[in-house]
Amino acid sequence: MERKKNLKIAAVLFGAVLLVIVGTGLWAAPKLAASKAKPGDCAACHVDKKVLPETHSDTKTMDMKACRACHTADNMNLSGKFPAGHTHLLSGVDCAACHGKTQKPEEVPMDKCVTCHGPTAKLAEKTKEVKPTNPHTSPHYGTELDCNLCHKQHAKSENYCAQCHKFNFKVP
Amino acid sequence: MKEDDVEKKSISRRNFLKTAGGAAAIAGLASSGIPMMAGSAQAADALPKKWDETYDVVVIGSGFAGLAAAIEAKNAGASVALLEKMPVHGGNSVINGGDFCAPGTKLQKENGVEDSAELMYKDMMKAGMYLNHPELARTVADNAKDALEWTESYLGCRYVKLNFHGGHSVKRAHGTINQSGSEVVNKEFAKAKEIGVKIMPRTKLVKFLSDKKGRIVGVEVLKGYRFPDDKSGKTAFLKAKKAVVLTSGGFSQDIALRQVHDPRLTDKLGSTNHPGATGEVLLAACASGAMDVQMDWIQLGPWTSPEEKGFGYVPLFCEPLVGYGLMVNPKTGKRFFKETGNRKERADAILLLGNPAIIMGDAYAVNKQVVPHALKGGLGNGAIKKFDSLDDLAKAYDMPVDAFKEQVARWNSFVEKRKDDDLGCMIFKDAKPTLQAPFYAARLWPKVHHTMGGVVINKDAQVIGFNMKPIPGLYAAGEVTGGVHGAVRLGGVAMADCLVFGRIAGKNAAKEKAWS
Repeated sequence: MERKKNLKIAAVLFGAVLLVIVGTGLWAAPKLAASKAKPGDCAACHVDKKVLPETHSDTKTMDMKACRACHTADNMNLSGKFPAGHTHLLSGVDCAACHGKTQKPEEVPMDKCVTCHGPTAKLAEKTKEVKPTNPHTSPHYGTELDCNLCHKQHAKSENYCAQCHKFNFKVP
Repeated sequence: MKEDDVEKKSISRRNFLKTAGGAAAIAGLASSGIPMMAGSAQAADALPKKWDETYDVVVIGSGFAGLAAAIEAKNAGASVALLEKMPVHGGNSVINGGDFCAPGTKLQKENGVEDSAELMYKDMMKAGMYLNHPELARTVADNAKDALEWTESYLGCRYVKLNFHGGHSVKRAHGTINQSGSEVVNKEFAKAKEIGVKIMPRTKLVKFLSDKKGRIVGVEVLKGYRFPDDKSGKTAFLKAKKAVVLTSGGFSQDIALRQVHDPRLTDKLGSTNHPGATGEVLLAACASGAMDVQMDWIQLGPWTSPEEKGFGYVPLFCEPLVGYGLMVNPKTGKRFFKETGNRKERADAILLLGNPAIIMGDAYAVNKQVVPHALKGGLGNGAIKKFDSLDDLAKAYDMPVDAFKEQVARWNSFVEKRKDDDLGCMIFKDAKPTLQAPFYAARLWPKVHHTMGGVVINKDAQVIGFNMKPIPGLYAAGEVTGGVHGAVRLGGVAMADCLVFGRIAGKNAAKEKAWS
């Protein structure tokens, strides 16, 4: 099979390309883990295009904590700058932590998110002051709307509410 | 890989046609002049060599009707798969306002309302311009109370307020505790999961599959479908040993299809529906021989705001206020149509004005009638406005102040004597003259809300084909069907329709004799 062959030859490069082509949440980046590339080594995957400004300091050995030394909530906020899967990986949550050890990663059910991030009711409590309305509860699904509908790990996150509502949420 | 599957499938289909299917088709044609299909003259489908999954009953859609059907079929002993093309369950039901019309209930008795199935039937027929298929309307009216009580006793749903909807003779809409259909559909969903219905989100129906006798035997679907990307998903074939139940909802968001039937409904008109309310499953059923009816009766909601997206908060402000406050044309400051008229009458009247109308109420009416979260939401997004005086209200909407105030005084005189001499609006016994500041108002402009037409069914929820006979193995319920409501669906009757016919469809589907 074509996919397997490419995995052997240039797993990291091809994985990144496939990720863009397929564009679905189904594609984690197992190639990255397999390649042993460090999460902060952007160029290991992004070979064709520089993703950081020329003046940016070297990120090769950085983790998320190191990013946040400069990028704070108020200054150069990273929210929405890259897919949330990057945040996970940079924080030491590797592919297998969500997808398990597998060659064919599947969609991750919401239960998995909740095991680390805590119960949804607590999350809703935390965001109750968000305007124009609390994004983590609704008359439709209560607090149980699947996290993945908005918070995409391997694609740009989405404001699911916006298909019917004028809620201008910025989704990390 | 996907390409391989496509390749394999097309080869197997060709082979099939060359051999068994083709031979059968020829034999069938030779043996008689009667069409082989129950519903249409088209040839039997090429059935897959191997079904990917097998169930007794396959239900298409996870709204009120689909879940009711799935639960009843499962409880009657069938194995059931429930398909939903969207990533989450509920469709329009989960964004529905949560009003369930039923006659002769406990809540009505507590509120001193006299009602009967006969009266509800008469109201449905009158609003429907007598185009309703009588036995279907009768079935809904006769079984609505039982269906409501089933949601209470079996699912644990709670109804706390008796509401009025335009076109009904009495208050018979049972409002859910959270003013949303989610109270019912989420509890149906939880129950379906609990009793072992196999729920399959992101699974889109592509085609109904018929055998050479025209019996529906299964479905072709796309699994892992990502709405609205039609290139997404992987083909799979699900065998339905007993029946397929079609509960895919209406097509208010299908601009092309709705314009086929009502060319006025262009993309200029918004819709209250969820984005997946499109007609491809209904059309697939027609392609498999189902007959369609009254497709051009498409309902506009007269209570939506042009300032809000989708359904919004304003309908929850407007509808409880009719019979308590006034609806006026801002151009003249005068009332122009009876506020308690049915949806069609009111939407047509507003469209005829050519500009949005104003619905308004005083502090007494609004505090009494409008639920706080709807008022807060509408005030928050600016669609509902609050004024200290009638003068301020008139000025804000560029209304002639004197004419408007004169109109309010006239309305108040009608409220005093409980009789509207001008337009015949119903005035409720606890209504008071519009006097008490602050005053609240919102603009109204219609949106596409409900498609009355759909596949023809009989009172057993069997889908009727073009030979006027039931299509074996195919049932339908809810908005995808036509005929229950005729020209106009009354407010609160969708829940009754979906729950009543969903349950009938599920029970009868489970009773079918398995074809293999």
